[in-house]
Amino acid sequence: MSTVIRTRDLHKHFGHVRALDGLDLDVDAGEIHGFLGPNGAGKSTTIRILLGLARATSGSASVFGANPRADAVAIHSRLAYVPGDVSLWPNLTGGEAIDLLSRLRGIRDRVEYERSKQHLLDVFELDPTKKGRTYSKGNRQKVALVAAFAVPAELYLLDEPTSGLDPLMEAVFRSELLDRVADGGTVLLSSHILSEVELLCSRVSIIRAGRRVEEGTLSDLRRLTRTEVAFSAGELAATDLVVIPGVTDLRVENGRATFTADSSALLDALPALAALRVQNLTITPPSLEELFLRHYGDAGPANQPAAEPAADPAIEPGADPVIEPATESAPAHARHAKSSR
Amino acid sequence: MSIFFTLLRQRVRRDRVQVLSWLLVMATIVFLTASALQDVFGEESERAALIQLATANPAILVLRGPPQGVDLDALFIFSSFSFLGLLVGLINTFLAVRHSRAEEETGRAELVGATPIPRLLPLSATVVWGVIVNLLMAVMVSGCCVAAGMDVAGSVLTGVALGAIGLSFLAVGLLASELMLTSRAANAVAAGSVLLAYLARGVGDAFGEVSQDGLVVQSAWPSALSPIGWGLATHPFTANDWTPLLLNLALAVVLTASACLLAVTRDSGASVFGAGVGRATARRSLSSSIGLAWRLHRPSVIGWVLGGLLLGVFAGALGTVAGQNDVANNPLAEQLRRLSDGGETLDQAFLTAIFNLVGVLAAGCAVQAAVRARQEEAVTTAELVLATPVRRVRWLVDYLVVGVVAVVLVLGVAALAAIGAAAAVGAASASNSDAVASALAQLPAPLLYLGTVALIFVLLPRYTAPLGWALLTAGAFVGLFGKLIGFPDWLNNLSPFTHAPAAIGSETDWSSGFVMLALALGAGVVASVLLEKRDIASA
Repeated sequence: MSTVIRTRDLHKHFGHVRALDGLDLDVDAGEIHGFLGPNGAGKSTTIRILLGLARATSGSASVFGANPRADAVAIHSRLAYVPGDVSLWPNLTGGEAIDLLSRLRGIRDRVEYERSKQHLLDVFELDPTKKGRTYSKGNRQKVALVAAFAVPAELYLLDEPTSGLDPLMEAVFRSELLDRVADGGTVLLSSHILSEVELLCSRVSIIRAGRRVEEGTLSDLRRLTRTEVAFSAGELAATDLVVIPGVTDLRVENGRATFTADSSALLDALPALAALRVQNLTITPPSLEELFLRHYGDAGPANQPAAEPAADPAIEPGADPVIEPATESAPAHARHAKSSR
Repeated sequence: MSIFFTLLRQRVRRDRVQVLSWLLVMATIVFLTASALQDVFGEESERAALIQLATANPAILVLRGPPQGVDLDALFIFSSFSFLGLLVGLINTFLAVRHSRAEEETGRAELVGATPIPRLLPLSATVVWGVIVNLLMAVMVSGCCVAAGMDVAGSVLTGVALGAIGLSFLAVGLLASELMLTSRAANAVAAGSVLLAYLARGVGDAFGEVSQDGLVVQSAWPSALSPIGWGLATHPFTANDWTPLLLNLALAVVLTASACLLAVTRDSGASVFGAGVGRATARRSLSSSIGLAWRLHRPSVIGWVLGGLLLGVFAGALGTVAGQNDVANNPLAEQLRRLSDGGETLDQAFLTAIFNLVGVLAAGCAVQAAVRARQEEAVTTAELVLATPVRRVRWLVDYLVVGVVAVVLVLGVAALAAIGAAAAVGAASASNSDAVASALAQLPAPLLYLGTVALIFVLLPRYTAPLGWALLTAGAFVGLFGKLIGFPDWLNNLSPFTHAPAAIGSETDWSSGFVMLALALGAGVVASVLLEKRDIASA
């Protein structure tokens, strides 16, 4: 499988702010690559560098093996871009904007283009006769999506493309995107919508503070995170339960004991649970949301340089178990953060 | 009430640098003009000669105003009041649109409107802020006049008259914001009204009745249609008549009330004109980045070309009125050269003077073309285009090419209009080549502006619009008025308009034009090369 996008040690500094701080990113041909991270993590900056709109301070980036700035024209003839906040020309209609952008990208087959455009206008329920100024946010987004999908591309750079779309339109977007990938397209999809990522993405890269903190398939990522185990405590006290191997975040409250364990080490804990003859056992795999919250939320303000990788819970999931006193209000990801320090 | 002051404070804060800069520019103009006039035209005989020349030459009256005798203070009004009125009008329309339609267009007005405040409160805050700005301006102009040694009553009236003109155009801007859907359209309509008002009084003054001694002009009726004309009709320092200002105030009140009425009855974000429906597909012309650049610039080009058309008709139709007197051996020759560089006869001087003005229009069109590139970058539509296979150098060059075409159109239409109008009134056909040559002579300065603003766009993108328009205003003032007022040569030489080649008459010299063209080309090339090195960014 060939690599479509590759960045190595990519830096982008705005004055003292390090928008990108050594980013590595790999996107292979034919995949829908989820590009995730909290606001301000550097996702849009990365995409702007890949488009050649911005220059990297240092490090390397290549698209189709070419330099995004020097070979911008050649690269752009093979890709489509949808920004997260689409601005349109106030006095051009949506239909005019779609035609203009498609013609700039290069329409190879006029008949096919007209057919494809009409199909997209229909499924996205977009009125092409309205002036750019009068479109709502969602409709501006649709204009950019129709322009991106109406002419086939080898690479789609999508920066939160569904922001402002309603759930029905999100579904339309997913189905259209999957069609493009079936035709051989590659996608870099920056998104905050977890269901979208789960349904679409074969691999994801999570970045924070300008660095990649995680990369892999979703099941890879799940395996790295903790599964929550709960059961009726009965007569057992917390001190009785520390014998279970791999236990973290152990709590006993309201007659119920809960702890988390590495998903990969869960099997080791089962015999101990059986020996304790626990009742009402539930084992909950991490939700996607927890998975992301954990990566998004545990590094403090997003604009600060990332913590050292070695100290990062995402990279070193098997930190020493620490028994934390239960706090009602602390959210799950915050507890994770504490337990690993 | 406290919310009102919050809104007012927000407006003050947003505008403080801009408004302060404009006030300083006005103060500088008033002060420089007043002191230069005292230096150069200290003798009453010199002033009389200047005014007699002006009254014999309608073009000068178009640019300046109706002279009211040989008094030094009155000469100040004659030489600069109209231009100050134009400036005040533009300051006010831009201020009004900035705080009304532009706010709505960006959606900020909705954020404010969603808070528990009365519907008209933001508009009221804009009106009050506009009134404050005009009061400040009036006080400042009056103060500068007094400080320059002018009569106190006349000085106060001068400031107040400019303030009243400002209020009229503040209201024009507010109403345009209610009528038009985009801030661009609102600005065009409002600024167009200001230019029209300036031209209307220009025509009125040019066709005015000249007194026996040639020292006083009574404006004709078109001046009475113009808020700037009403301001001039107060005749500060001579008649000191405050009553015409009631017209300015009445217009301000009526238009502001209409704007308020529209604002309470219409939906937020809606407008009277320009409801957004159009073609479902793009014409073939909209297939390239130059097609887009032309499409975006086209409405403004039409406006500027109309201005060129009006001035051209004016030059052609009035040329014969100016007469064929040979001024080479005339004692007035020296004064004539202060007013206009070109030609040997009065009608040639007239033609040159009018085409100087066309040149400023063309330069405005050029500045706007380069500013357009920055606007595209700032609202991020440029990114949509630059993410397609369009080279970024090509993208910028397309805006510059459109600018060049627009400049040529403005000048060409003006020349054709002059020729057509001259033929219609039966003028000598020899003036045809003069019209073409005068138009050609005005080509280099606008192109130099185009190149310069392109360079600013690449090096200091955020300052493209303010710096570009400021350079144009300063260059136009120095170029059109510098010699008349008696600015030092080094200052006059800073303006590209000063260097328009001597195109007609027996001693033509095109060298300065070629130098400016070379500089313009150089600036454009450097801008294109440097654009490759910088990021495309909205901030």
